Amino acid sequence: MKQTNSTPHRKNRERARQFAQMSDNIYLPCQARVDEIIRENDQVLTFVCSFEDVLCNKDFSYVPGQFMMVSMPHLGEAPISFSSSPTEGTGFRLTVRRAGRLTSAMHELKPGDQIGVRGPCGTPFPVRELEGSNLLFVGGGIGMAPLRSVVQYALANRERYGDITVLYGARTPADLCFRKEIGLWRRQGVTCLLSVDHGDENWTEHVGLVTELLDQVQVSPASDRALVCGPGIMMRFVLQKLVTLGLEPGSIWTTLERHMKCGVGICGHCHFEDRLVCWDGPVFSMAQLPDLENL
Amino acid sequence: METRILHKDHLVPLLRRLSRNYRLVAPVRNEYGDTLYSVIHDLDSARIDLDQQPQGSLKPFFFPQSEVLCQYALDRNHDGGQTRYAFYPQLPENRPTLYFGVRSCDMMAVMYMDLIFFQSRGQDIYYARHRENAVFITIGCNHPFPNCFCNATRTGPFLEHGYDLQLTDIGEQYFVETGRARGRKIVEAWSWFFSTAGERERRAQFQAALEARGLFSSLVHVDLAIKLLEEGDEPTAVFTELSRRCQDCGGCAFICPTCTCFNIHDQPRTDDSGERVRTWDACTFRGFTRMCGDHNPVDVETQRVRKRFLHKLLHDVRHHGRTSCMGCGRCVGMCFGGVDMIRFITMMCQYEAAQETGE
Repeated sequence: MKQTNSTPHRKNRERARQFAQMSDNIYLPCQARVDEIIRENDQVLTFVCSFEDVLCNKDFSYVPGQFMMVSMPHLGEAPISFSSSPTEGTGFRLTVRRAGRLTSAMHELKPGDQIGVRGPCGTPFPVRELEGSNLLFVGGGIGMAPLRSVVQYALANRERYGDITVLYGARTPADLCFRKEIGLWRRQGVTCLLSVDHGDENWTEHVGLVTELLDQVQVSPASDRALVCGPGIMMRFVLQKLVTLGLEPGSIWTTLERHMKCGVGICGHCHFEDRLVCWDGPVFSMAQLPDLENL
Repeated sequence: METRILHKDHLVPLLRRLSRNYRLVAPVRNEYGDTLYSVIHDLDSARIDLDQQPQGSLKPFFFPQSEVLCQYALDRNHDGGQTRYAFYPQLPENRPTLYFGVRSCDMMAVMYMDLIFFQSRGQDIYYARHRENAVFITIGCNHPFPNCFCNATRTGPFLEHGYDLQLTDIGEQYFVETGRARGRKIVEAWSWFFSTAGERERRAQFQAALEARGLFSSLVHVDLAIKLLEEGDEPTAVFTELSRRCQDCGGCAFICPTCTCFNIHDQPRTDDSGERVRTWDACTFRGFTRMCGDHNPVDVETQRVRKRFLHKLLHDVRHHGRTSCMGCGRCVGMCFGGVDMIRFITMMCQYEAAQETGE
């Protein structure tokens, strides 16, 4: 099995430096303010946030694929991926589906309210390594949130990347997120194919599984890199299909979801074989995933 | 390395002097007959017990079972109804502490915890505060205890590094080896307690260390288990059997000197304030990996003990070059379901042997 820790000490120092920007205490959240709340659909909101501390805002940097540990009063913390790109100005966006107690409480927030945040945590998508390649995004449901971060990043650095294709599936048209942005992406030359399990009378695009959209695009193993995120079962089938279309496992990237407490590779909750998803991931190349059963 | 002799009669007077500068922790036999590493407030009334293996390790002194990380407070009426939400760290005090009578396995476990909490990843300031200013006077095990197998994990019964001072019982005296600078300072500062070791004492120490290695009652094939796991020979049937027998009590992880998994949760104190607390957790608990919506990526019926054994015998070998089982054998005495390290290694080796002979 391929090992990821090629230069662990340099990586650790860099990560420690990132944290040191915010605090010398890796468990101490900073105060962030919710500046704006965007309703994506009934279950999903996007929180546009910035730090209360002006210096934090100035020093803060992240890379698509990383995440924040978000604190809500009395409810502890949960890991939430950035849905924004650092190229979109100061602060950051978190796109959150109402799923448990903490995320439900987030849905009660109003603009101006504060949340606690720690981070950025995790290993990002290899945006530098992807330069020069065509990017094929395959998202399912709320899994589109971390992929949006990379799409925005690639559009902001358009000359560095080849063709951009977004395949996005959800259960119903009402479950799709980022509808407005998908329109903007299309106008900027991004191929966007949408799919839902169950359409309605206004739905004119594909009905079925997101894997079926892969039949509608030309995949070129030499120049394409795939970025996949969605429910475990969807990811398993998409990854398998991408391999049958000829993509190397090392050219396919995905981001995993796990229960996390510390976010910095100590507490042990997010183990995935000998890796810790919060530290070695959440972004993994398919070549690093030992099997696809427990995504 | 400098070697000295400490007469046994001088031990308590030495500790009394040292307790002026250090909080003193040592194995103490309590009124219920249990031997536990305890803080000694009064040396005259405490019964230091170097004959029994302490029932717990030093883990709780560096990584308490429950520890407040920070306080949080809400201000709901600030700026016209908007909520402020602030955090205030609560760092532990870092008192200079002398840990006396520490067994080799427990000292090695502290060094393993150092790897986890502040060498490989972001520094854990809470652990660092407990760990700073700690001095260790260890004691070699002349007579390993019934469940011990530190010979197989190479963590004892005597230490070759890591201690400030290491004592060996050679009858009327302790043979004293100085390790790190803090140990040398103790010997220099209180030199009148120590005399120079001669050839006879050196030979007695060598003899004691040699004899101890032959006194282990359990033969545990740790190296074979590591080799089999590295070769990808995962004993699925053994994991299934052990998962069935695990009663989900977490005793093995809590008693283990190197199990450092933890949970972090908020403990409300009032409607508008509370504490963020870190508590021990265990990967054998059914809910350890459960996410919201009750989704659990680990099949708890067959795999919840798998992580524990693979972590100690395979993953840590991969990442740190050695196992994180220290061979202290405490999990053997703790588990009433027989899901312990010795049992696992024995079952795994038997399973492998049966596979090979085609039984």
